[in-house]
Amino acid sequence: MIDTFSANSLKILEKDKNEFINKYIHKLSLFKKDERAILGQNFHALICMFLKGFDISKMVSNLDEKEQKIWENIENKLTPIKNNFIEFEFPFLIKCELKNKFYYLIGRFDAIYRENDEFIIWDWKTLNFPKNPADDLQTVVYFYCLNQIYKTEKIKMRYFSLEKNEFIDINFENIEKYKNKIDEIVSKILFDF
Amino acid sequence: MLINANSTTNRTKILIDEYLKLLSSGIDARKILVLVQNPKKKKEFIDEIKEKLPVGNIGNLKIYSFFGLVYNYILDNWAIIENTIKDKKSKIIPNMCGLEVSQYIFKECIQEVNFLGYNSKTSLLHQLLRRNSLINLNSLKEDEIEKRTKILQETYSKEANLAINKYKMKTIDLRAFDYIRQINLFEFLYKKLKNEFEYVFLDDGDEITPCVFEYLKHIKPTVKEFFIGYDILGSSRLGYLGAININFEEFLNEKAKTISEENEKTKLAKEILENVKNDIPIKQENVDFKPFLKRSEMLDCVLEDIKNLIKNGAKPSDISIITPVCDDFLKTSLEKAGFEFNFLTKNEKLNQNKLIGYILELLKIFNDGKNIFVSPYVLKGIFIELLNFDKIETIKIIQEYIITQELQNKSILDIIKEKNIPVFQKLIEIFEQTRFEKLSVQLIAIIENFVKIDKKISKDIIKINQLLKQIYDFEEIFSNTVENLDLINQLENTIISENPLSDDEINPNSIIVSTAQKIIDYSHKTKYQFWLDTKNENWLKQDIGPLYNAWVMQKKWDKESFDLEDNIELTKDRTARILYKLFLLGNKITLYSSVWDNLGFENFFGIDKFFTFEEKKETTDEKPITPRKDQEDVLKYSGGLMSVSATAGSGKTTIMLLLVEKLLSGEILGNIEPKNIFVLTFMESAARNFKEKIKAKYPSLKELPNISTIHGLALRIIKENNNYTKLGLDYNFEIVDEIKRNMLLSEILNILGISQDKLELYSSAISAYKSEIANYNYKTDNKLFLSVFELYQQGLKSQYWIDYDDLLCYSLKLLKENKDILKYYQDLTKIIIEDEAQDSSEIQQSLITLLGGKNNNIIRCGDINQAITSTFTNSDPKGFKKFIEKSKSVIMDRCQRCATGVLDCANSTVEWAKGQKIDAFSDLIMKPVENKNIVDKNAYQTHIFEKEIDEVNFVINSLKDILKNDPKATIGILLRSNFAINKWDKVLSDVAIKTYRNSDNLINNPVYRICLLILEFIVNPYDIKKIQELSRELYELNLISFEDFQFAQNLQEPIFLNNSPDNFEHQFYWDMNYFLYKNHYSIYNLVFEIGSFYFSKTTNKDNIELVATIAQKIFQSQKTFENSVSKMREIQYKNNFANIKFFSNSNNEDKSAKVQIMTLHKSKGDEFDYVFIPELTQNNLCFSEAEYVLKENSKFIQKVKKYPKNDIELKKEIIEENARLIYVGITRAKKKLYLSVAQKYKIFNREKEQKPSEFLENIL
Repeated sequence: MIDTFSANSLKILEKDKNEFINKYIHKLSLFKKDERAILGQNFHALICMFLKGFDISKMVSNLDEKEQKIWENIENKLTPIKNNFIEFEFPFLIKCELKNKFYYLIGRFDAIYRENDEFIIWDWKTLNFPKNPADDLQTVVYFYCLNQIYKTEKIKMRYFSLEKNEFIDINFENIEKYKNKIDEIVSKILFDF
Repeated sequence: MLINANSTTNRTKILIDEYLKLLSSGIDARKILVLVQNPKKKKEFIDEIKEKLPVGNIGNLKIYSFFGLVYNYILDNWAIIENTIKDKKSKIIPNMCGLEVSQYIFKECIQEVNFLGYNSKTSLLHQLLRRNSLINLNSLKEDEIEKRTKILQETYSKEANLAINKYKMKTIDLRAFDYIRQINLFEFLYKKLKNEFEYVFLDDGDEITPCVFEYLKHIKPTVKEFFIGYDILGSSRLGYLGAININFEEFLNEKAKTISEENEKTKLAKEILENVKNDIPIKQENVDFKPFLKRSEMLDCVLEDIKNLIKNGAKPSDISIITPVCDDFLKTSLEKAGFEFNFLTKNEKLNQNKLIGYILELLKIFNDGKNIFVSPYVLKGIFIELLNFDKIETIKIIQEYIITQELQNKSILDIIKEKNIPVFQKLIEIFEQTRFEKLSVQLIAIIENFVKIDKKISKDIIKINQLLKQIYDFEEIFSNTVENLDLINQLENTIISENPLSDDEINPNSIIVSTAQKIIDYSHKTKYQFWLDTKNENWLKQDIGPLYNAWVMQKKWDKESFDLEDNIELTKDRTARILYKLFLLGNKITLYSSVWDNLGFENFFGIDKFFTFEEKKETTDEKPITPRKDQEDVLKYSGGLMSVSATAGSGKTTIMLLLVEKLLSGEILGNIEPKNIFVLTFMESAARNFKEKIKAKYPSLKELPNISTIHGLALRIIKENNNYTKLGLDYNFEIVDEIKRNMLLSEILNILGISQDKLELYSSAISAYKSEIANYNYKTDNKLFLSVFELYQQGLKSQYWIDYDDLLCYSLKLLKENKDILKYYQDLTKIIIEDEAQDSSEIQQSLITLLGGKNNNIIRCGDINQAITSTFTNSDPKGFKKFIEKSKSVIMDRCQRCATGVLDCANSTVEWAKGQKIDAFSDLIMKPVENKNIVDKNAYQTHIFEKEIDEVNFVINSLKDILKNDPKATIGILLRSNFAINKWDKVLSDVAIKTYRNSDNLINNPVYRICLLILEFIVNPYDIKKIQELSRELYELNLISFEDFQFAQNLQEPIFLNNSPDNFEHQFYWDMNYFLYKNHYSIYNLVFEIGSFYFSKTTNKDNIELVATIAQKIFQSQKTFENSVSKMREIQYKNNFANIKFFSNSNNEDKSAKVQIMTLHKSKGDEFDYVFIPELTQNNLCFSEAEYVLKENSKFIQKVKKYPKNDIELKKEIIEENARLIYVGITRAKKKLYLSVAQKYKIFNREKEQKPSEFLENIL
């Protein structure tokens, strides 16, 4: 019985229920690591440490040329606004209800930025933004969950491409729309058991 | 808040409620730390919270197992550590690796540190890992380590500490930390950083380790409130798992609330705890005890009981099986039963999984630049299992590979490259693409292309992912400086141990099989608990080794020393706590035990000594045996010293059985326990048979009398209560088996330039010498022998071996030098009964005298007239003679076995010897039993033939007559030497008379024989002769039909090539094909399957496990399947391997209509309807001192004795023994006896005149 979902698992469930079952219930996917993923992980960690205020000069000095360039850009972008970040690597766990059954959404916000009463969810992408960012399930899930935490609709989703050094913003639309979308996908499997 | 309560209470629930209260009062979840014992408990805690909280944001829950907290803490604050490391390198994310990486690093460190002279059997690596783990779990500082080094008087502490320090430096350098190493980093961090938790919850506080407690102590000043739940009687993880008892009341300065749910279960569990601690055996109605002799019987009963429970409505999840011995035998037996079992033990090698095994082998091929010959057996598995290639074609290609390998050194890849077959082309393609890539890339390529990933292999995928993670760790940490082939080697040889962050999937519909600790760790409650192998000593695990001592390394150790008593007490204490916690988790508990483990070794000291049960000494409904008049005297025994001289065939075993029954019923010595009765037999098989007879008579008897050989008893004395430490023995000591002992001697003879054919000589001499040392404190001045002896002793010591003579000498030493041990055994031995007393050695007799020294109830049974081993072993019949003189002597002189004529012959022999002044016999005339013996004055015949061929023909014709007229008769041909056995074996098989060689050889056992033949067939499926031999053996054992036998005999082609439908009707064809293509990665499983297929419903079923284990052990040293099979064939005539002795049942094989051929010596104890004793020449059986030529053997041994016998004395003794030898031969015959000799024999191809033996002329 599965009752806990992440943005990624919902994406797979939406696309192909069998693939979801194979991956998350029978646990049939091979654990593969690739270079890009490692690059992404490293930068996530580096940014988080930077925002928390740790001294990362030694680690930065060991990056290769390309990586250093990327870091320089990030540092420039983030330093002036550093103090507005209120959370880093922020895990969330949201309990939801659907037709008298409960399910849970889990995940981790890369960083939460707050300016006055507006929240911006920053998400670091190594290269490309999602194709349809406004409808992308990650956006949907993150919006819904942050709403549940801070009880506000003044939320923006900011996808930041590390290599391109640019970002796009998505505005919060409608909480019901997000909940319905998630419910729709979850219901594909939630009532199977 | 402090709660002292056990796991049957709602202690955890209370903690959860408090937690929820805090949350609902507005406290941020991030400020509340919850520490639980393991990931499973964490999941349960979180699930409860999730369920109870309303919809919406649950929050950032900080609920961790301790190692989870450590892990996250380090990752969150890594920058601090990285900045503290003073080198220019850096890593952004450290590698939190598994223990495999640490093992690899430690191996390097060990090589760099010189452990001069260290040679304990337990690997240095294992010792260091344990030491390191204990130091970290207990947060021991340097001065604390030093203090303990002094207490333990460790010899290698300096080197060990050096190695550990090197290891620490390397891990820093590599930024690779396993969960134990992470503890150090965690300590460093929390001491530096501010504590963020205002509230701390701790459950299972009794199971925490000092490193956790140090952390709690450190953060206490800034914590607003603690909520701790613990069970003051718990702490099952004391010892090497690192837990300690913590005084939480002192820590929190508050009194603990005790949840007063004193339910029945709690009361019971507490009682058990007290009883075990105080050595009071527990008597419980809720606990049932089912003892068995063999482990297979035990398992059969367990399965029956499970079946019955389920039939009566129980669910699989209501049952848990708890055993410390979760081995292949258990797994295979349970899995065959058809229930769903969930095995929770984790310590296994990765490549025990078949799929992974084959993938690793394929990876070896990919990465092997030198074209090393791959085992064809493995190749077969790869082709069929992994590549799904056609079976018959596989065999053909492998054959091609074997042949071309010898000629051209082609690799298997070269061969398949030339084939135009899609799957091979694919394989070559992948090989070419990935041959220079990382191992992980190769592995993924193989899986993605050849493994069908679906839910049937989900368990395999989990293991594959574990493997992948390990490979990634290595690749990342060592930046690809480890060669692929080395990495594979490393992975194959590491045993995957606990990953504390992983969580067992417990399938709710299956029966859990686990060790006790795991059940406790998971607080796994079930209605029914089945405790298996309760006699096995692994229930009381030892915690000490040369480089670590789990007790002394506890943080709170404050004694200045560590003694034997400490070890016993602490182990007992921990066992008490484990049993206490187990009892809390089950309602109905059943203990199952077996006297013998899988390999036939006796189990000594398990936990069933803590329990006592109503002894139901009810016998079965068999007709009670009425003793004869001459036997009655024995049963009139009322105590004291008694000797029973029992002539051949007088029913001695039956009488001994009756005697034991009388003792059990209290008629002789009053109410004594079975454990106070000691019975010593000569052979292991006799002991086993005796035990089985007692068990059959008293099926509900919980505890059997002590029935063993003297060596079995000696071993027990050495092992019990860790007595061996008083001898300076390592706890790992092992009894060297015959094969290894001979190898050691052989090497020594080589070194000293002595010829190898003196091996037997030196072997016996060493044994005799050890006896001399023990009896007389003597030292020989024979320099050459002394050098051999000293090297031999050194050789034993270096491997932590002792030999069989040491067993006796050491146990004697223990009793002589330790008053408390002597008292213990003398109190225990209320009566001791010895069988075959005439063969008892001096040491054995000393032991018996000592043991029986307090109660003085000693009964020794034997027959002086049948002492036939005293001239070449340590047996001392004179000792028995002396005992007869000073004890109450009972004589059983009625022989029920032999025909009257045979009795006459035997008695005449005795008379004649007396007349010749050969002092061989006691004055015992054999008498028949009224109305029982066959009356036949002519029961024996003697013949003197002119030529050898005449004698042979006579025997053959007589045999043919017998086989025609008395087809169910048993027949024995008794000879003087093994050489003669070969001759007569051939002679008879030439005329198609079936023979049966009686010997203890491995090959004699049908399971060994059949499995070996089938294994050889698998190695070479082209060998038609092998198939024919196999079919003949199977047919003779009635395991295949005559049609199948004929089918096999008529084969023209190798069986697997035979695809004609005519063959499909032959079961044999299917079976052989099945075994040929059945790809078990492990030889154990293959042999087990073959053995089970043919023998699981026969009396040989207990030997299946033994043969499989022998094969497995051989494989461990031979490394390939093919070499293992050759080795099994090579040792076929040995008596045992690694001291494993087959279970034999004298009804095992149908010996009628087969002629049994054996030496006179081996015939003792046996009986036959018809007995032939040919070749009675003076050479073979000499009675003339003048004519007899002493053999070198006999003279040699005298050289090492304190009171050596001169040649005359020796000759006299040998002649006396010859007389007894023929006497034994004669008394084997029930119906007819044929004594014969010829006047000319072929010796080394030349006909020589031979004189008949003197006694024969007389009997004539």
